[in-house]
Amino acid sequence: MLKSSHDFLVAAFCATWAIQLGYVAWLAVKWYGMRAKSGR
Amino acid sequence: MKKLLIWLSIVATLGLMVWGYYQAIYVAPTEATMGDVQRIFYYHVPNAMLSFLFFAISFVASVLFLAWRKGQPALAQAADAWALAAAEVGVVFCTVVLITGPLWGKPVWGIWWTWDARLTTTLVLWLIYVSYLLLRKFAAGPQMQTLAAVLAVFGALDVPIVYMANRWWRTQHPAPVFGGGDDSGIKDPQMLAAFGWNVLAWACWGLLLLGIRVYVERRQQRINTASARAALAAD
Repeated sequence: MLKSSHDFLVAAFCATWAIQLGYVAWLAVKWYGMRAKSGR
Repeated sequence: MKKLLIWLSIVATLGLMVWGYYQAIYVAPTEATMGDVQRIFYYHVPNAMLSFLFFAISFVASVLFLAWRKGQPALAQAADAWALAAAEVGVVFCTVVLITGPLWGKPVWGIWWTWDARLTTTLVLWLIYVSYLLLRKFAAGPQMQTLAAVLAVFGALDVPIVYMANRWWRTQHPAPVFGGGDDSGIKDPQMLAAFGWNVLAWACWGLLLLGIRVYVERRQQRINTASARAALAAD
């Protein structure tokens, strides 16, 4: 699947942003869930 | 005014991330032997540096929690929020390190993973802090925060071992880029600039995440305190 040096670079950068933005999305879900529970 | 500053810091951080990406992909020259894959270095190393920083913050906050938990409970709760937030953000950065490392290793070494000293100690560090987060998530009772703080203190002892691993034991992982003797350091000024910009960008991004996470945790603590008081009043 990953063949060239460029493929590995793209995979690494995509994985980095998937992890970082995944965490941001989890934080956002947690934040809005908390706001809904506290009634504000 | 406070909201404006928060939005300005978010915009500045995103701008730095784009600039760091541009530097890493378009400005830094292609490394002669490894080719394009060497550019993973501009994400891998800053993420590793930042994970060390966050685990160190978690360590300091955990020590403060243990020191304050009886005499100054309000301060202890603040320290606990910082410890949890820093450990969580540290695990995110350490996960990036453990994913991008093998993606560099496969084309350069020909293998995804080896039980080299640096790789193994980094994996152990990640496992310790994942277990810290699992303890925080699933354990209950008044001793949970204290147990978690003790685990964070012992977990942080692995950070200097990870840092020194490729100095003490010369195995598969490349020699240290900085602080590894006379030959260490980035010689090409464009590569050095790209690396510097990415360290700055990732530091701003990580500190922004840490600030948001601490804010969310402090709010969660206030909600928990309010609901505990309401339950006591109902009795």
